[in-house]
Amino acid sequence: MWFDGAVTSTVGILGYPLHRHTLTNGLRVIVSPDHSAPVVALNLWYDVGSRDELLGQTGLAHLFEHLMFQGSANVASGEHLATLQANGGSVNATTWFDRTNYFAAMPTGALNLALWLEADRLATLPQALTVENLDNQREVVKEEKRQRYDNVPYGDVIEHLVALTFPAQHPYGHTTIGSMADLDAASVQDAISFFTRHYLPGNAVLTLVGDIEPADAFARVQKYFGKIPAGNRSQRASVTPLPPHTGVPRARTAAPVPADACYFTWRLPVRDTQDFNALDLTFSILGDGQTSRLHRRLVREDKIAQAASSSALALIGGNSFGFAYARAMPGTTVADLEYAMVSEIDRLVHDGPQPAEIERAKAQYEREWLSELSRFDARADQFGAYATLHGDPQLVNTRIADITAITGDDIVAACGRWLRSEQRAVLSYERTNR
Amino acid sequence: MKRPAVRTPRPWLFPEPRHGTLPNGLNVLIFDRPGQYVISAGLVVDLPLTAEPSDREGVATLTMRCLDEGTRTHPGTRFSEVLEDAGAAMAGSVGHSASELYLDVPAHRLGSALELMAQALIEPALETEDVDRHRSLRLAQIEQTMAHPAQRVGLAFREAVLESGYRAARPAGGTAATVARVSADDVRSFHAQHYSPANSVLVLAGDFTDDPFDQAEATFGRWRSPENPTVHETPRPAPATCLLIDRPDAVQADVRLGGFGIDRTDPRWADVQVASYALGGAFLSRLNRVLREERGYTYGVQLVNQPMRSGGLLTVAGSFRTEVAGAAISEAVRILDLERTPITENEVADAVNYAVGVTPLRYATAAGITEQVTTLIGAGLSSRYVDSHTAALGLVTPGSATRALRQVLDPTRMSLLVVGSAKALEGPLRDAGWAVRVQTDAAAT
Repeated sequence: MWFDGAVTSTVGILGYPLHRHTLTNGLRVIVSPDHSAPVVALNLWYDVGSRDELLGQTGLAHLFEHLMFQGSANVASGEHLATLQANGGSVNATTWFDRTNYFAAMPTGALNLALWLEADRLATLPQALTVENLDNQREVVKEEKRQRYDNVPYGDVIEHLVALTFPAQHPYGHTTIGSMADLDAASVQDAISFFTRHYLPGNAVLTLVGDIEPADAFARVQKYFGKIPAGNRSQRASVTPLPPHTGVPRARTAAPVPADACYFTWRLPVRDTQDFNALDLTFSILGDGQTSRLHRRLVREDKIAQAASSSALALIGGNSFGFAYARAMPGTTVADLEYAMVSEIDRLVHDGPQPAEIERAKAQYEREWLSELSRFDARADQFGAYATLHGDPQLVNTRIADITAITGDDIVAACGRWLRSEQRAVLSYERTNR
Repeated sequence: MKRPAVRTPRPWLFPEPRHGTLPNGLNVLIFDRPGQYVISAGLVVDLPLTAEPSDREGVATLTMRCLDEGTRTHPGTRFSEVLEDAGAAMAGSVGHSASELYLDVPAHRLGSALELMAQALIEPALETEDVDRHRSLRLAQIEQTMAHPAQRVGLAFREAVLESGYRAARPAGGTAATVARVSADDVRSFHAQHYSPANSVLVLAGDFTDDPFDQAEATFGRWRSPENPTVHETPRPAPATCLLIDRPDAVQADVRLGGFGIDRTDPRWADVQVASYALGGAFLSRLNRVLREERGYTYGVQLVNQPMRSGGLLTVAGSFRTEVAGAAISEAVRILDLERTPITENEVADAVNYAVGVTPLRYATAAGITEQVTTLIGAGLSSRYVDSHTAALGLVTPGSATRALRQVLDPTRMSLLVVGSAKALEGPLRDAGWAVRVQTDAAAT
């Protein structure tokens, strides 16, 4: 019913409906009706992430995301989340290198309330921003950093990998959570400046997926968001893509973890380019699932690793990242892991993947993508992502076809350009409590 | 602009399955979900872990992990190759009362993938080499779990709150001592004895292109294995205790505070769900409002109402920076005392609206339905529970919620488990009146 035709692996083009409209203040609106459940997923992608932070202000985009729940002119602190929950909604937000997204899903009867709440904070947030709220959320974010990064085994890996892969002044040269020192230094004025610069209707995409018709949806969005001034949208400086690593940069760290681990990173091309898609399939062949080459070699055959995997992290600003990792079994050294990983990568890059491996990776991609889109909230998030980063939400419907079109030759060519073992950087993560 | 009013959601009911039983006794439940192009299949085996030999705990987990390591038809890695070629993914889960195997696959490839799922259950190879490898991997995983403070404190809480001797007090996947003893023969005989069609239910949800009953019959119909009578334990609570597990370099204290709870069949279940949401489920719950939004002590704190098949665990769960952990725990104890501050009319309304409102979204996907139904079956219930729980929520009053929570969780007799810096935390906990025992353990550092 929701697809124009059956989903098939031969055509691979999905038929999720898409209706688009742009308000005069620049807010882009996407509506995708689906009446299979009496709920609507609302998603707002703001085109701002940790890549937009200035040096000395790392963590500000994420801290600001927390402040968005601390009230606005007509909404009390914490009330945005609490009132939607009390009406059967689930609400959250995330910050990442390329985005800050705010999302809620609720019974259709609460949609106007959700739109009003989003519009109120976009129109009036600075009126409610106080030093008390900032100080409180600063502590909450520091607890988040402790809980997720500082107090768990291997929690600081992402920080090391980012530093190894990009120069400190690069937009991707620091983590989204930021540093404790920069969080401590953030002021109310910093937060208001950040809001004024990035939280503008023209810097956002609002997506609705679910039990609503396009004309009705556009009218509601117009009613709540139409009068918000456009503001001055600043242009982001373009980023020159960095070439692959040379000379195998290395970093070493030691911590009280249960087992040694070895991590590789690569600089990759930006997301959804032909080379990136080819590399995405390659990372799946190399390190996703039981049939992948790293699992077979390190976990199953050599029995030197507890786990081994690889994946591509899709980014838009000049480069993406690629990762591979293995965690050692007792008696195995990081050097043993690295040797086996390099030999698998060399074999894959030099000989290319088997045709069966390519077909398998495509079949897995198809299921993962369809599973992702089976959820209203995830579907809305993907429409927002593709509209924001690529200017075209229809790419969500053609994504499987784009992946299916990749050939073995494309993979060999992309690997030769980006994924050779001498283009890696290496992090050795060693345990201290032997 | 005026704040918009909210329209009452239209009533929503959990979908009714089509039900059939294969001649071998396997029950099959089909949920037709138009627009759900990834089929979700779940097979749940009624399998209490009391069935494991007590010195081989973890044999159920190793059995599950070896199911997809090759079958008689597709030996070795050939099995995972054909499974992945079909665009399918399989995952297993072993709980204290049931074992579950899940399959996700695009609808147009269901037939071949279901055949592979059936093979994994009916004729797994369970080769010695694979069992040996998975035993080593499980032992490595136990080390990782013990080094992770939140996972460590969760296991410690379970062990402290349930009377020792009950299987539910110990980890479902076994401990290092018991896992180390599990042999390939143990795994093979465990599979032969406990995996049986008459002990199992197959749940399928999605947008089917072919008749799923025919596909189930064609793949699972050949499964022959005698029914295995099962007996489920009814765990009892242990006396309250306070244990501080030392993790000298920790910058936070991972805290579990609470006690033995109830399960879904208890007449007070809906009352306790509502009270738990008001105290520690909502964003502005009493606990999160004070400890996060006012004090900034934590990224988030919850009161988790976790049912088992019989009894349950009712637990305040959170992590707090070391310097304020003592104060946070004392504040949590005070907040849990409802004697002077009973649950209010508004709190009940908000909790019920939340629980009822999120239901359609939770079950909008095929996987959401399958996972809920297999979980309920594993707890001895059926999919009808969802609607009866919704009805029960409608009957909760501030009085009934307050009364039920006070009966189940006595704030003067709670257990407290902490993983954190003993040097920094022992004093504050003693000062707060806790008779704290300190456990130092190399695995926690």
